[in-house]
Amino acid sequence: MSEKKTYTYYPGCSSEATGMHLDASFRAVMPELEREIVDIDDWNCCGASVGLIVGGVLPQTVLNGRNLAKAQEKENRDVITACAACYLNTHGNNEKIKQSAKLRATVNEALEAGGLSYTDDLQVHHAMEVLVNDIGMDKIKARSTNPLKGLKVAGWVGCQTVRPFAATDEGGNYDTFEDPEFLDDITEACGAEATEFTPKTNCCGGSVAVMKPEKTLHLMKTILDAAVESGADVVSTPCPLCQTNLEMYQDAINKKYGTDFNIPVVFPTQLMAVAFGLDAKKGAALHQNTIKAGKLEKMAK
Amino acid sequence: MTAQLPETASRKYDLKFARWVRDNVYGGGKMNMCMQCGTCSGSCPNGVEMDVGPRKLFMMVRAGMKDEVLRSSTLWECTSCYRCVVRCPRGVPVTYIVQGLAAVAAREGYAPKIENASFARAFWWSANTFGKTDERLVTMKYFFSFGFLEGIRKSLANLKIALGMVKAGRMHIGMPHKIRDSKGLQAMLKKAQEIEAREG
Repeated sequence: MSEKKTYTYYPGCSSEATGMHLDASFRAVMPELEREIVDIDDWNCCGASVGLIVGGVLPQTVLNGRNLAKAQEKENRDVITACAACYLNTHGNNEKIKQSAKLRATVNEALEAGGLSYTDDLQVHHAMEVLVNDIGMDKIKARSTNPLKGLKVAGWVGCQTVRPFAATDEGGNYDTFEDPEFLDDITEACGAEATEFTPKTNCCGGSVAVMKPEKTLHLMKTILDAAVESGADVVSTPCPLCQTNLEMYQDAINKKYGTDFNIPVVFPTQLMAVAFGLDAKKGAALHQNTIKAGKLEKMAK
Repeated sequence: MTAQLPETASRKYDLKFARWVRDNVYGGGKMNMCMQCGTCSGSCPNGVEMDVGPRKLFMMVRAGMKDEVLRSSTLWECTSCYRCVVRCPRGVPVTYIVQGLAAVAAREGYAPKIENASFARAFWWSANTFGKTDERLVTMKYFFSFGFLEGIRKSLANLKIALGMVKAGRMHIGMPHKIRDSKGLQAMLKKAQEIEAREG
């Protein structure tokens, strides 16, 4: 498993906005693990969780079909994305298309209106699945020349990173839906300590939290309560929307519930970047967290 | 045995709507597998904010309660966490069906003032226009869908968060990110909507 492998990368819309620090740290750590990534040319939005409500189910599939058609222009047969919603849509629709010649024909009828077609059988992976199945924890551990000794991390997986595909053959069977272990494994491979954190696959509210935070603050409070109780210095989550929601709503939660949460929320790729001895800013992009992960920043070389 | 059987109940189940959902909503074909065990409702993280849980919603579909189903807040409080999908012992794709019903409610005018429908409209506008989600414009368009004053109020209430994002470099100032071939994408999406209208 040590040969260099190249993946075609789908960064997704959050990579240019609220999830820039996920994109930056992901791009920094992959070459360190001997994996090259090549961006899909002129990629578009996946439609996330709400696109189909107005656009329709088929147009949402076509959004993803276009990305797959653009991805097949590259030599690699494996597509990777670090965003939970991008993965859900790209992987889900890719499998639907691969399993139905009728759907593929319909999608291609629409894609041809813009001069494209998707004829290949690509495989779409979540970045976490690649870390588990292709790269492996041993490699992460071996590369962690700057182990994060003494850092306590609550591993919060969230929803769409593992649901509904992590425990399926098509999804790579890399972990369970309810009690995944990969995130704590990454934490420990980085030399940090995974705390006892129960609500690891709890939901933050997703896009409902963006539009109606008052309806979902209770969900995030449960997660924050458990993280603090576990003694964590930081929360680690692989999902860009989870990260942004849990970070930006701590003020609102404190106002509503009279609490005093101020806990940093980082990505596992940021932990890895610091553990690999990369720059706190250029590698880990820790300057882009609005709640500063001071203890982690101090550990950076 | 001469006693007459009683009259058929005056309020009988009307399966027309259930059949329509089965044939027209993505995943609806599996709804008849539902055995009303309630695993979905018990697993739902945002059930407290819903009129009815998914289990009851599905029973209402079977009972032909079209208006009640399409007006239920359940469609809009689903956070798409997919816990019900992975837990359903009968393999019913619950989240997908709820999203599909939300799409029907939005299309048929059941949700003119529903926040999530307004948000979805703003989101699709950005995806269709730029080929990407511009989080700034989607949020602003969504805020101002409530009217000018409410738009200002919501914008001010979120100013601190927005400034924090700008300072962290996670919200850019300037033109929206746009794909190069937005014309091609728009032609594809238009065609997809035509096909969907044609084939139902």
